[in-house]
Amino acid sequence: MTFIDKDPTTAIDLIKDGFETAGYICDRHIATSIYLSQKLDKPILVEGPPGVGKTELAKAASEILGAPLIRLQCYEGLDESKALYEWKYGKQLLYTQILKEKLGDLLEDAVGLEQSMDKLHQFGDSFYSEKFLEARPLLQALKSEVKTVLLIDEIDKSDHEFEAYLLEILSDYQISVPEIGTIKAKTKPLVFLTSNNTREMSDALKRRCLHLYIPFPDAALERRIIQTRVPELEENLRNQLVSFVQQLRTQDLKKLPAVSETIDWARTLLLLHAEKLDTDLVRNTLNMLLKFEEDIDNMHSEVPKFIAAAQKEVR
Amino acid sequence: MDKALADFVEMLRYSDVPVSISESVDAAETVRLFGYKDRGLLKVALAQVMAKTIEEHENFDRCFDEFFSYNIDPDLAPGAQAEDTAEDSPPSPENGETPPEGSDPNNDPASANPVSGGGEGGGGLSGEQSQGASAASLLVMLERNDRTELTLAMTAAANAVNLRNIVLMTQRGLFTRRIMESMGLEEVNREIFRRRKEGDEDGADGLAGRLEILFDSVRDLVDRQLAFTSSGKAKQFRQDILKNVRLSAVEHRDFKYMRDLVRRMAKRLTDLNSRVRKVKNRGHLDIRKTMRRNVAYDGILFETHWKQKHKDRPKVLAICDVSGSVASVARFLLLFLYSLNEVLPKVRSFAFSGDLGEITGEFDRLGPEEAIPLAIDKYGGRSTDYGRALEDFKELCFDDIDNRTTVIFLGDGRSNGADPRIDILKEIKQRAKRVIWLNPERKSIWGSGDSEMLRIAPYCTKAETCNSLNKLELVIRDLLKSS
Repeated sequence: MTFIDKDPTTAIDLIKDGFETAGYICDRHIATSIYLSQKLDKPILVEGPPGVGKTELAKAASEILGAPLIRLQCYEGLDESKALYEWKYGKQLLYTQILKEKLGDLLEDAVGLEQSMDKLHQFGDSFYSEKFLEARPLLQALKSEVKTVLLIDEIDKSDHEFEAYLLEILSDYQISVPEIGTIKAKTKPLVFLTSNNTREMSDALKRRCLHLYIPFPDAALERRIIQTRVPELEENLRNQLVSFVQQLRTQDLKKLPAVSETIDWARTLLLLHAEKLDTDLVRNTLNMLLKFEEDIDNMHSEVPKFIAAAQKEVR
Repeated sequence: MDKALADFVEMLRYSDVPVSISESVDAAETVRLFGYKDRGLLKVALAQVMAKTIEEHENFDRCFDEFFSYNIDPDLAPGAQAEDTAEDSPPSPENGETPPEGSDPNNDPASANPVSGGGEGGGGLSGEQSQGASAASLLVMLERNDRTELTLAMTAAANAVNLRNIVLMTQRGLFTRRIMESMGLEEVNREIFRRRKEGDEDGADGLAGRLEILFDSVRDLVDRQLAFTSSGKAKQFRQDILKNVRLSAVEHRDFKYMRDLVRRMAKRLTDLNSRVRKVKNRGHLDIRKTMRRNVAYDGILFETHWKQKHKDRPKVLAICDVSGSVASVARFLLLFLYSLNEVLPKVRSFAFSGDLGEITGEFDRLGPEEAIPLAIDKYGGRSTDYGRALEDFKELCFDDIDNRTTVIFLGDGRSNGADPRIDILKEIKQRAKRVIWLNPERKSIWGSGDSEMLRIAPYCTKAETCNSLNKLELVIRDLLKSS
């Protein structure tokens, strides 16, 4: 990485530029946390409303660092056998079968039970060895020769127990497998954990991470995001669209439209060859922005007002 | 870690941002990386290291701004700037070198004097200077008008007198005086006195003026320290008090604090409890564990291990008296009931004074600010009749009571002379796992007047006085532990 030895201000600008070329527009907060996580060797816990680009952040980071992305999607009931490692039971069973067959040959010259046991012990126990270990995402990230970006997505969906498994990885970049011992990371991965805050993370987990909160972007930032993501959209319409969405976010809605929705809407308007916002167009496409029937009904009457304000602002 | 950061960490801890030791180590590393120069950047970086929730971020931002706005430079410079407009402000040496054009003739001698006065003073005091370096340097610093030096000296003096320990408004004067004395106030005063005696009025005025400015900045320093230690400490103090104070004595304005406390308490209690799990003999086969267990049998699956686990949570029926006699505590009992309802899945809540009715629905639907007054409105105000309430209760949900149910009564047991229907209570006790009666009254007055507590108590698994949050927590913890 090129930024790591630079002084903080330069490095953070470099990171920002890097993200921009990867098509991810970020502010200083995000760039700072990438820099800090590299310097302090800390995972980043990313929180924020859905659709503000938490997962995208990890993808973009993997792109600019040139590090492969390993993703672990969390859900209720996720346990260590799916996240950390699993023994290859089938192979283990085969191994015992083979061992049994070969036992006669191996112990040929041994006399008596004791000697046989001694001999048997000489072969080394490969039943629980790395050969039979099936690496799941977390272990893959640790065993990788090259630097990876590890994305633990929606950690809030997982159980309390799973959080506890993670603690060792997050603080020391290592996993303890009872049968083998500790497996340490060859190269420390850059770890992102994302959370929609459906439940509070434990203090132990939070303490090990940098905490990055990504809020809804302000108008200027959102305009730039749309510009990068939907470059074909004409500037005037883009500004109107962003202003409209920003107004929508001030309303009391069940689910506020996020950046991903703004992008979708921008693409829709592009497809429909819209030149400016008008009431019918917006009403017909409102379902791109709002995901609840109730919200759409409530906003129906507000549309002309918002459009007028958006057009006034752009002018 | 430097002193400023350590102070900042302490301030954060008082402001509800619990910075752990490892986090402060990270913070020190961050400060080393970023330095104090770019405050904006430092703020962004430190926030991510130290604040771990959105609320904490808000508190952090506030504290950071407050802490670092804390500009304790003794600003002698404004004096210099002000001189252009105001003629009687204290002169500064820099001005002597470039006197403003057409300035008042008074200005010249005045600005020249401190320099010569300083020279004389320095000579005269050389003996003392060697005795107490810090004391002598204040005079020199004032003469030199060196802001950095003065700031450093001020901070050092503040540390020497333990300014961090300031808690009360009334300590302001004391601490200001102590800091000034530790910096060498006495000697400067002597010098001013000496100059006056020698007729050097201008020199004395100049020095006194600067001393006054220094006094102001020390006062400022003390005020700020007071502002940020005491606000945090005061809050903690208040919470500690609230936990122990009698529920009936809690003021309405503290309701919000109480709500936080109660919520946290209920959450902690159920967190403890929800981890009780029993392994069951059905569900998905846990291949991993089964194989593991059967390795010894050559891989033949003798012992099975199942994945499904059963979370054992108590079923709770809670009945709250909201009549006039317990009006002052009903709010908090209901609040607790509400929080319990939030964290435990199987709580049914009832309220009564005359008639009894279920309020689980309201609790599920509405926030506590609405649901609690609603419950009091709907069922409160009438005179208590435990007999009728128990009859209603029996009718409503007697069938739901089984050997896993806990029934909690919150009330004073004063039935206004009506028959409390102990027989129903007896039946409930026979069916339920346990019956708990929490009474806001002290045990010594149970049975006095219309209180039926002495008759009620034998039919409860537990009858306790419960008039503060701490007591409430103890009782409920017992409840959950034994479940």
